[in-house]
Amino acid sequence: MSKFQQINFYQSKSAAYKLLPFRFARLDGDKYFLSNMVGEYLILNRNSLDKAVNHKLNSLDQTYIDLRARQFIQDESNSVAFDLLAIKTRTKFSRLSNFTSLHIFVVSLRCEHSCPYCQVSRQSEDKGKFDMTEKIADRAIDFVFKSPSQVIKIEFQGGEPLLNYPLIQYVVEQAKKINITECRNLDFVIATNLALITPQILSFCLQHGIHISTSLDGPEDLHNTNRPRKEKNSYQKAIKGIELARDILGRDRVSALMTTTEASLGRGGEIVDEYIRMGFNGIFLRALSPYGFAIKTKSFAAYQTDKWLEFYRSAMEYIIQLNKDGIAFQEYGSSIILAKMLSARDPGYVDLMNPSGMGIAAIVYNYDGSVHPSDESRMLAEMGDNTFLMGNVLKDSYEDVFSSNSFLDPLEASMTTSVPMCEECAFEPYCGSDPVYHYAMHQDFIARKPDSGFCQKNMGIFKYLVEKMESDPYVKRLFRSWANLK
Amino acid sequence: MAVEKVVFGRDVYGLQEIKKAAYRFIDKFSIDIELSDSKIECSLNFLKSDQSDAFWVDEFKKEVLDQDLRQRIKLETEPVRNLILAHAFSKSRLIDK
Repeated sequence: MSKFQQINFYQSKSAAYKLLPFRFARLDGDKYFLSNMVGEYLILNRNSLDKAVNHKLNSLDQTYIDLRARQFIQDESNSVAFDLLAIKTRTKFSRLSNFTSLHIFVVSLRCEHSCPYCQVSRQSEDKGKFDMTEKIADRAIDFVFKSPSQVIKIEFQGGEPLLNYPLIQYVVEQAKKINITECRNLDFVIATNLALITPQILSFCLQHGIHISTSLDGPEDLHNTNRPRKEKNSYQKAIKGIELARDILGRDRVSALMTTTEASLGRGGEIVDEYIRMGFNGIFLRALSPYGFAIKTKSFAAYQTDKWLEFYRSAMEYIIQLNKDGIAFQEYGSSIILAKMLSARDPGYVDLMNPSGMGIAAIVYNYDGSVHPSDESRMLAEMGDNTFLMGNVLKDSYEDVFSSNSFLDPLEASMTTSVPMCEECAFEPYCGSDPVYHYAMHQDFIARKPDSGFCQKNMGIFKYLVEKMESDPYVKRLFRSWANLK
Repeated sequence: MAVEKVVFGRDVYGLQEIKKAAYRFIDKFSIDIELSDSKIECSLNFLKSDQSDAFWVDEFKKEVLDQDLRQRIKLETEPVRNLILAHAFSKSRLIDK
């Protein structure tokens, strides 16, 4: 007779487990995607899902073990599940009490480019009319240091911000002076097309630790189509500027962002190749902006989302193959989502936050002192709609601005846990809400999700990432590294 | 406009689950719901679609089944969900402030 009990002896009594809160969504075929309130996920078939909900799982089943390990069910052996869920929930929302780390200063609305999709630039040479003054900047700096966030990033935007370079110098010097007593983690970025960059400006950047964020839309013809200049040399200026900035500041202080236009669709591989040629380690495949043509023709939106998802998936396939071939390269938008899927960390990306990141993650001080909760709401205001206008630094206090109804009403509406369809969506832990987008497209902060291009786009990305991870072990390892989980 | 009728037993499915399922297809069809003692009769009024009406009727039925399962999970886990949330924020500065 064996000294040991049979394995059945250690088995939990049937149905001796409790369900913990979770949601599910149907994927293709018989597969279901399950997620719990902190974003742990699992893929099951319908039969296993039914058995789990009906307490029919045996404690030795692999499904049982997986569900218990991820806190979907609780039995006597994992009483800690409750505490783990509470701690992870608190971790995910801990950023809320330390709000607004990104402060965008629109130092000039003037620009020497004439990009057709841009709603905010002015060709005017009238400095007095479209440049931020020192008086406005002083008030905006006061607002910056009233934010509870310990981490503060001031980003200079335009138009082309270098057209008002003296004000950038002024803001940097004033903010650093105040920070001697504030002791925040203070950082600066200039978002510039680099056409006006000089070694003198870059020396100032080096001296003050300022980062450069520029635009690179892809190969020369695409970049120049997207960003017209009289001299037809936007691309050459950008490339020369990137090289000069890297020489003076170092590679890590220079980054690039792409704007996707209709002309970009179908050219994902070429765009990625351009980033690799320029020595970048990754790219952010940004979606088309609804501010412009699409906003006037609503029916265009869904069509555009389909086309963009096709572009995204094709570029992602290309990037995955590059990695398989030994070229390390990542897609930053996916990395943000993967960090949310594969860890309790929330990178705090404005478009994927619940409640919305508007005003909480970022705030915009326009050249005229008006305060907006996001860059997109500033664009909306430039198109004549002040729905999201929070106030003006010249006449309103910080408290007035952050308690304005034009800020709090959409923010309250943006809680995905109470939005129809979002509240039961299995992808909700990774998603967010964008009241400005939905207002622009549907005149409603929430909108019906089946009609929402935002929902359609995010669901498309989430499902793609999950399916890739589940079907290819190499991709799972790659995605874990993108999420900073080795 | 094409109309498809779908009938559910009242002792099998709840009205809320059917409404929730219908909401998910709001871009595909509008719905009229009529109740009798034992049945819930749904008339699906189809808008223009790239798939056949039969496809969406089938998807709607599957979604009602999913909603029924969701409701069962919700009923069983709602108290513990509220408790976890209360526990999560009880010592956080979010509430203290």
